[in-house]
Amino acid sequence: MTAKDVVTRIQQRLAESGIAWRAQTVDTFKAGRPETTVRGIATTGMATLDTLRRASAAGRNFVITHEPTFYNHQDQTAALEQDTTYQAKLRFIQDHRLVIFRLHDHAHMLRPDPLVVGSARVLGLTPYASASERNVYVVPETRLRALASDIARRTGGRQIRVCGDPDMKLTRIALGPGYGVPPLTQAVDVSIGGEAPESGGQAEYALDAQALGRARAVILLGHMMSEDWGMHEVAEWLRGFVTGVPIEWIPAGEPFGAPRG
Amino acid sequence: MATTRSRREFLWTAASTLAVCTAPRVAAAPSELTAAELTGRVREKVGVAWRTPSVDGFKAGRAEALVTGIATAVLPTVDVLRRAAAAGHNLLITQEPTFYTSAEDGGAAASDPVYAAKKALIDERHLVIWRFSDHWNARRPNESVAALANALGWSAYRLADADGLYRIPEVRLDTLLQHVRTRLRVRGGLRWLGVPDMPVRTVVLSPGTTDLPSTVSRLPHADAIIAGEPREWEAVPYVLDTRPRKALVSLGRVVSLEPGAAACAAWVRSFTPEVPVDSLTTGDPYWSPLS
Repeated sequence: MTAKDVVTRIQQRLAESGIAWRAQTVDTFKAGRPETTVRGIATTGMATLDTLRRASAAGRNFVITHEPTFYNHQDQTAALEQDTTYQAKLRFIQDHRLVIFRLHDHAHMLRPDPLVVGSARVLGLTPYASASERNVYVVPETRLRALASDIARRTGGRQIRVCGDPDMKLTRIALGPGYGVPPLTQAVDVSIGGEAPESGGQAEYALDAQALGRARAVILLGHMMSEDWGMHEVAEWLRGFVTGVPIEWIPAGEPFGAPRG
Repeated sequence: MATTRSRREFLWTAASTLAVCTAPRVAAAPSELTAAELTGRVREKVGVAWRTPSVDGFKAGRAEALVTGIATAVLPTVDVLRRAAAAGHNLLITQEPTFYTSAEDGGAAASDPVYAAKKALIDERHLVIWRFSDHWNARRPNESVAALANALGWSAYRLADADGLYRIPEVRLDTLLQHVRTRLRVRGGLRWLGVPDMPVRTVVLSPGTTDLPSTVSRLPHADAIIAGEPREWEAVPYVLDTRPRKALVSLGRVVSLEPGAAACAAWVRSFTPEVPVDSLTTGDPYWSPLS
């Protein structure tokens, strides 16, 4: 079975679920030859050099990554040709005959979204999923400080950022994957996501809401702490229809150092 | 912070910090300077051709209003607006939007009571908000970079003919982190990549948006980049992949730009004798459950 065969099976499986392959998509081969025989598959949140080393050492020569390989959404490399970091990464991929495919747009189209499922699972939110509202979780009343500490403990995330009054009470949580957090509507106390801009995100809204006596909060897990676990779900999904090769989740992991470096 | 209590107190202290950059003034007769006249003066002095379209311009209030005082800010939060009003400053010069989107239409929050209450506050206190971001950031050398360097005590270390590069006395990364944390009063927003004991000598300062092209072009000449807001699928994994490892210190957008907003106040003050000009800070919006 070649890497191309695996992608064809993914496309077939999506089609069976009513998801047509998009004409415009970032889900393409990023490096390596699609005709390469697959010895093992690694799914990961991001194909960092470190992730690729671990995949290669484990004999997983086909890496399916959620986020880019070459540091931009379209994986455009023209501006990187002279860059030694890019060159070394590309050389590592070639030397170890790795093949890299991105599975981003179509992964988010699955229902439920495996990136949210994985995040909810690691945060312990799964049992609290709202029956009627997508990506909303209703938890027994707690305070922001307790929720944030619990999340830090569960994810092992070292750089979780919280905006909001630590003493605010909450029950309704909206969970979004990756970039941007769900809007803080009147029906949401806390919005959790991976990363978000400080202006045009929700943090400044949370600051204003707090100042106006309507407690709202944002928790940013970090992009990988938000989506890495979702690629564990994607590995499980792949095992359902790609047989004959080992499929392993190789997390990119928390990139940031401890709060006190 | 040792305890959550002290962290919380720190939060309130930081939130109420008023960066007063002028000596106390004796109350003067009301100025006859309108917001339109003042912003016209800024446009004249900025030394950059005015761009169309631009995000810069009036976002709330009346351009004909007489200016009683001016406050610069990165983020015009409700708290900043209240403090400006309390200090008698009715004109805000801000870097970021007031109503959560660059279109200033509130986006998903437009039908929300928070949006409505913020609008009402601006109306009741007769505040005027003028955004000044594109043109302030187009000045060369970049004002936000120079102001951040100054806040870190590095003004003398600027490398001539280099964009945002500073050669500082050699320091370990963990010591550098402590310096940054203390000087800029960062709370939970400070994040870093690298090896704690790695030596740092040459630093790129990249406040605001830290994009990939400017990182790729400058980091090869430096040991570390001090970033404002780097994307975690762009500059962050790029720095993570460097061998030997380079360092990234991410401050957050607001913290990285606030020294520049204070510099903007000083600059406006230099040609605005009629009214007091101050700078108001929000500080780091984030705390961490781990620190």
